[in-house]
Amino acid sequence: MEMQGERLIEASRNEVWTALNDPEVLKSCIPGCEEMEKTSATEFTATVVQKVGPVKARFKGAVELSDIVPGESYTISGEGKGGAAGFARGGAKVTLADQDGGTLLSYAAEARVGGKLAQLGNRLINGFAKKVAADFFDRFQAVVQGDTPEAEKADADAAEGGDAPPEEQKKGWLKRMIS
Amino acid sequence: MYSFDYVKPGSIDEAVAALQAEDAQALGGGQTLIPTLRQRLAQPSVLVDLGGCLDAGVASQDGGCRIGGGATHASVAASADAPKWLRAVADGIGDPQVRNRGTIGGSLANNDPASDYPAAVLGSGAEISTNARTIAADDYFQGMFETALNEGEIITGVTFPKLEAANYQKFDQPASRFALVGVFVGKGAGGVRVAVTGASESGVHRWADAEAALAGNFSTDAVPGAPSADGVISDLHGSAEYRAHLVAVLTRRAVAAAG
Repeated sequence: MEMQGERLIEASRNEVWTALNDPEVLKSCIPGCEEMEKTSATEFTATVVQKVGPVKARFKGAVELSDIVPGESYTISGEGKGGAAGFARGGAKVTLADQDGGTLLSYAAEARVGGKLAQLGNRLINGFAKKVAADFFDRFQAVVQGDTPEAEKADADAAEGGDAPPEEQKKGWLKRMIS
Repeated sequence: MYSFDYVKPGSIDEAVAALQAEDAQALGGGQTLIPTLRQRLAQPSVLVDLGGCLDAGVASQDGGCRIGGGATHASVAASADAPKWLRAVADGIGDPQVRNRGTIGGSLANNDPASDYPAAVLGSGAEISTNARTIAADDYFQGMFETALNEGEIITGVTFPKLEAANYQKFDQPASRFALVGVFVGKGAGGVRVAVTGASESGVHRWADAEAALAGNFSTDAVPGAPSADGVISDLHGSAEYRAHLVAVLTRRAVAAAG
């Protein structure tokens, strides 16, 4: 499946680009990332734990940066094997542009799963993949902007109430991810 | 399956303590968890069976009812102490095996985006009690499989309020009896609430437009047209547009049936 989104980040394009290439930042933004080690300038090994309802799988695999246009865009992709659960593969083309108030980060992400995980069906995988992608960029935005816990709490308060639009609900997830 | 430890604590406190172990997993009725383990899609180190410590009773309370976290769907469906609308929800869950083994606490802790109880809990404005606190339904459901529960927190009971009129309608997926889409409409002291399951990629949610329209005129004519298909689940059983259409259809049916 494919997912698109964008975030206006209150930081210069240079700062955003630096963060996009910082393994520590990537590690803290990839949901469920337990370990991440640099193996070359553009390659990393990673261990990521993902939980969808009752399903919990630990993926070991590689993360790679490619199609790099410094300061403008790159593609981040990863694939891993989750033992009996199957495998997962995903990536995102990330593009930066100057905009009033900061930098506009746009992403086009795609994800695929195979093995037993695929038997869960699209009903779960689509929604979950969208959430993971959104989580990653929400966390990235928070890290780059150095958001305070108070600001996050305000977002989360706004998101309470079951009729909150999806955008606000995502902020609720974010708050719990980083708190 | 593979090997794991199994414990069945006799008290909530012991269960909470047992769940502190790394990769410990609480076990309710096991109707989702056991198939998952058989597929090796989860590998907990220890299963903490809550069957020995949770209240499984159903009791009427202030015109509504209080249900223990360990109550099976079948026992709720058969209880004269539960309101008729809630018995109907419980009676429509899954198949007889699921109803005889599955528990309300397990269903709510799992929060499958297409299960029935979350719609009834959110649509009635119920409260969920845990070993540590009481959580309003509006704060509890936080997305697909996501809840306000902390790691190791156990649902001990659910309190449903008195409602003047309520009904749950679902268009079920014939193989699993999960809701392709399900809508719960409840009218009570807090106004009209409409909760939708099975439709959104963010799990159970309230349909604010329908609630606003029904608040002034509780009739099928007042139900708005289909909501936006953005963010609605799309799979081989039904497209996003189809499911969005079902949301409006089932809301009308629920309003008509609630009277």
